[in-house]
Parts: sequence; C-alpha cells; structure tokens
Amino acid sequence: MAEEIIMADAAEHENKPGKVLLDVRDLAVEFRTEDGNFKAVRGVDFELRAGETLGIVGESGSGKSVTNLAMLGLIPQPPGKITSGSARYDGLDLLRMSDKQLSEIRGNRIAMIFQDPMTTLNPFLTIDEQLTEVTRKHLGLSYKDALDRAIEMLEKVGIPGANRRVFNYPHEFSGGMRQRVVIAMALSCDPDILIADEPTTALDVTIQAQILELMQKLQDEHGTAIVMITHDLGVIANMANDVLVMYAGRKVEQAKVNDLFTDPRHPYTLGLLNSIPRIDEQVGAELSPVAGQPPDMSQTIQGCAFYPRCPYRIDECLQVDPPLVQVGTGTMHACIRDVTTLDPPTPK
Amino acid sequence: MIKFLLKRMLWMVLTMWVVFTISFFLMWTVSPEGALLSERQLPEAIKQNLERYYHLDQPLTYRYFIVLWEYLHLNPGPSMKLIDKSILEILREGLPISISLGVLGLSFALILGFASGIISALRRQTVIDVTFRSIATLGIAIPNFVLAGFAIIIFVFQLKLFPAAGWGRPIDLVLPSLCLAAPFAAYISRLTRTGMLEVLGQDYIRTAYAKGLMPTTVVLKHAFRGAILPVVSYLGPATAGILTGSLVLERIFFIPGMGSHFIEAVLQKDHPVSLAIVMVYTFLLFTMNTLVDLSYGLIDPRVKLDK
Repeated sequence: MAEEIIMADAAEHENKPGKVLLDVRDLAVEFRTEDGNFKAVRGVDFELRAGETLGIVGESGSGKSVTNLAMLGLIPQPPGKITSGSARYDGLDLLRMSDKQLSEIRGNRIAMIFQDPMTTLNPFLTIDEQLTEVTRKHLGLSYKDALDRAIEMLEKVGIPGANRRVFNYPHEFSGGMRQRVVIAMALSCDPDILIADEPTTALDVTIQAQILELMQKLQDEHGTAIVMITHDLGVIANMANDVLVMYAGRKVEQAKVNDLFTDPRHPYTLGLLNSIPRIDEQVGAELSPVAGQPPDMSQTIQGCAFYPRCPYRIDECLQVDPPLVQVGTGTMHACIRDVTTLDPPTPK
Repeated sequence: MIKFLLKRMLWMVLTMWVVFTISFFLMWTVSPEGALLSERQLPEAIKQNLERYYHLDQPLTYRYFIVLWEYLHLNPGPSMKLIDKSILEILREGLPISISLGVLGLSFALILGFASGIISALRRQTVIDVTFRSIATLGIAIPNFVLAGFAIIIFVFQLKLFPAAGWGRPIDLVLPSLCLAAPFAAYISRLTRTGMLEVLGQDYIRTAYAKGLMPTTVVLKHAFRGAILPVVSYLGPATAGILTGSLVLERIFFIPGMGSHFIEAVLQKDHPVSLAIVMVYTFLLFTMNTLVDLSYGLIDPRVKLDK
C-alpha cells in the first residue's frame, strides 16, 4: 500500500534530466533591525535543473543560506523581508504562495537539510516520531506504513539495525549517524529538490566523505536535484555540476565546475582558490587568504562590493556595481576587469 | 528508577524525622504548657489530671520518644483544644478540602500560565504580549490576601457573581482557587514565555517548519515540551507556595481546611495539632518534589534519574 502511494506520487512528478525545476529571479532579502536595513541578498538569479547539483559558495554572511531559506519562507518575518524577486517551481511562484500552499511543498517536493545534525533533530521526540510525521502529512500514510517507510529510509542511508534504532532518541546517535537520519527524513517523500545547507561542515573529515558519497548515491538513484550550500571548495569540486559564487548578497560568478577551478574570472573566486592548499604546489608554499573583511551590509555599497579587498581594483570599480557579463561557455562574472590578462598582484 | 525511588524514600524518612524533632522541641520549649495555659484558673486537681493525660508531668525528652513512637504508628494522638476530636479526625476532615483547593489552584495556574505564556511568546512585542506581561508582573507583585480582598469587593459585593465565603458547593471553590492561582499563573506565564522563545529559536524548530508542518503542530508538538522544562522545575517550590498560600486564603474565605486548623492550633498553642499538620505538609512537599523530578525524566529523555 505504502509502496503504491509513493510510486504513484513519484511518477506524477517525474522529471526529465535537464528540465528547469527551480527558476529564481532577482531575489532580494532584507533584515530590518534597529541598526538599519541589513541587505542580506541583493538580487540573485539562478536555475536548478533536474538531476543536477548546484553549488553555492561564499563566506559567512554572503547570503547563500538566506537565499534558500527565504525561498521556502523559512526566514522569520519580521525582521526579515523579501523585497523583490520570484522563485518559480512547477509553474508557481514560491514567494507568493500562502503559508498553507508552501507547507505542502516544504519537506515534500523541496526538502532541506541543515548544518548541525546535533541540533536539527528534536531532542524530545523519538526518531520514528520525527520521521513518520513527514510522510503521514505529505503522503497521507498511516502510522504503520509510515514506520515501514521510515525503517526503509534508515536502511537506505546506512543505519545498522534500523528497525530497532528507529525508536531511539537523537541523543543516542553519533553526529554522523544523526546527519544520516536527517538525510533520510529529508528524502522520505522523494523530493524533486534537496537543499543542503552546509551538510558536512559540523562533521569530521572521514564522516564528511561518507555523507557526501551517500548524497551522491541517493541522487543517482532518485534523480533529485541538489542545491549544495557550502564554503568548502573541496565539497563543490566533488559534488557540483554548476557553481555559483556569492559575495555580499550578490552573485559574482557562475560557471561549470571545471571552468571555475581552471579558469576563474572574478577576483574573489580567485582569492578563494588561492586560499586553499593544493596538492601540486610545492611543500611549504604559503597560502594567501583573502585579506580584509566583508562590507557592512546595512550601509549602501558604492560601486563593487569587493573593491576594498580586491587586489585588481582600479578607480573605475567605484563608479558602478559591475553587472554580470557572460564569457565563453556559460561562465558569468561580475567584474569590469579581465583578470585572465592581468598579472597576479604583488603580495603586500 | 526503583533505586531512585528507594533513595528518595530514605531521604524523606530522614527529613521528616528532622522536621519532627525540631518542631517538637521548638514548640514545647517556647510554651511548655501548650493549650493548658489559659486565662481561666483551673483547680489544681483538674490541672494535674490534664497534665497526666498529655504526659506534661514527664520530662520533655521522655515525651519526645513517646510521641515519636506514636507517630511511627500513624497515631498523632488527641488535640488539646478540640477534646471531642482526635487529630486524625481533624486531618481527615481538613485535608481533602485543602487538597482540592490546592489541586484546583495549581490547575488554574498551569492552564492560565501556559496559555498566556505561549500566546505572549508567539505574539512577542505586540499589544497582547505587553498586556499579558504587565498583568503577570502585577500578579507576582500583589500578595494573595490583598488580591483576595479586591476580588471579594469586586466579584462578591459589586458584581454579586460569587458567594463571599462558605464551603460545600462547587462555586465556593472558584474565587479562592483563582486567588490562590494568580501569583503562580503569573510566574508560570513568564517562565513559559521565556522557555518558548528560547525553544522557538532552536534549529530543530526550523527543521520542523522545513518539513512542512503547520505552526500549531510545530508549537504544540515540537516546542511545548522543551519550553515547559523550566515550569516543571518550578512546580516543586510552587507546591510549597500553594500550601502556604492556602493557609491565608482559607482563613479569608472561611474554608474549613487544614490551613484554618493550622492557624487556629498555632494561636491556641495546640501543639499536637500544629505538629501533625507540619508533618503532613512536609510529606506533601516531599512527595510533590519527587513527582516533579520523575516527570522531568519523562519529559526530557536525556535526563537520567539513576545516579
């Protein structure tokens, strides 16, 4: 019975690879605080295609999480406010849906997993309670069918003894196991889109690799499109097809993953790449971090937001906020200079 | 669990013994004659008979052991003032009345406190929130006997909604238990609001919303249990407060509960009755605290009682 419902539901939402599932245009989000309007996201566009993984990279406060939370109505309003934009999913604009419509999509068609598995599960409820409530609500399963589904999902994400463990509390699992539970929960309605907000940041490196591998495997099986939010370029290189680099609430570069690593066009991307160790570099070579601090987003930014930290800056950069320009095969960047023809700046 | 309960029982016996000893010696040292001390001069023969009946002719330490022995057999003996009633009979009449008042008071306090606390938290920084919080602050600040006075003036004499005093009909319970509940409701409301706000900011609440659950489900199923933990730990002291609060309120509303008897006994130096009621209160308080600790373990699965 449970099988049939799930399969029928999946068939209805069958997505051909390459079909645009999510189309976000000009999304802008503000937080209105006593210290002024904090412009967290300043006009972001992206598309997500079925079966693909879109990586969103940027440092803390660059707006990468807020972009996705806002799309699903998960930022507290007030103080948060979506000031412009649209996010089309299945022909409908997520930003203009009622709470009820949106709650039908959340956890069902678009699921999310968060950074810290130690705090994202409710410590007061058993795992079966937390897993079955999703499928009972969205797929209309009975508790018994939902429990079977929960155990099946836990087995799929590699929890040993799932039929016993399902009745445990979150604190009886290790961090890596909890993140597996979170993934099982997110995928239990077989969503079209999975938004993963730094899913491996809080885990140690060996567990990180296992979790990424698991996500990859589940994506291959179910054709789920993934938005992978991270500040870890290693994760991006592993997982993503397309990469979007965000800085100060704006998209500064978007490229195919290979192009981004081999032919970065924005000085910020370049800075990020230079700040990670490379295996082909000589041992003992110094890493060069991106100097300076991100701008205060409650102030109006004059010209390019990256100007104060940019090694390639010229006076013209202060005149306009550089528009996105397309170069080559699909790479877009927001810089008025062509960094590929310039000499690397001398270290200060 | 069993180990925890056994340990608690042992502590209870010890505590009750200490309370018993201190109370016994304090009372009889402060006024050695007890209720026999009165304005009326008793003939010497009658006085001696009475002293023998209450063992007053024996040394205090000897009496201590006699009374302790009787208490171990759950027999607190006769009253010194109400000659026709044993202390057990007094307790049997008064205790159910006081307990129903206390339970009703605590229920009102929990219902009003939880409801206003949750609404306050969900509508924070709005008119509703500020109103509830102001009322709560007043409720904590005003002692219940003052509140009872105002309540009687308004609801009894002005609006004529409730009887002024008395006992026997359900309506007699409403005003006293509401007055009894008020300060506790206020405190519980503030604790619930703070707890709720803290829990609503947790990651797992965002997860619950991200799963597509409706706000009511999120608040009642995912947030409530965590939010009331501070309230649960407050229930121990609250019970003590309800007990002492009812002492005064029973007096104001002429309710023949244990509180009335207690005040009467203390004023008339009827030491055996006072001692018995002190022991009952000690027992109630200890039981309540144990229940609170048990429920803590039930609400939060991470709490382990066996240690």
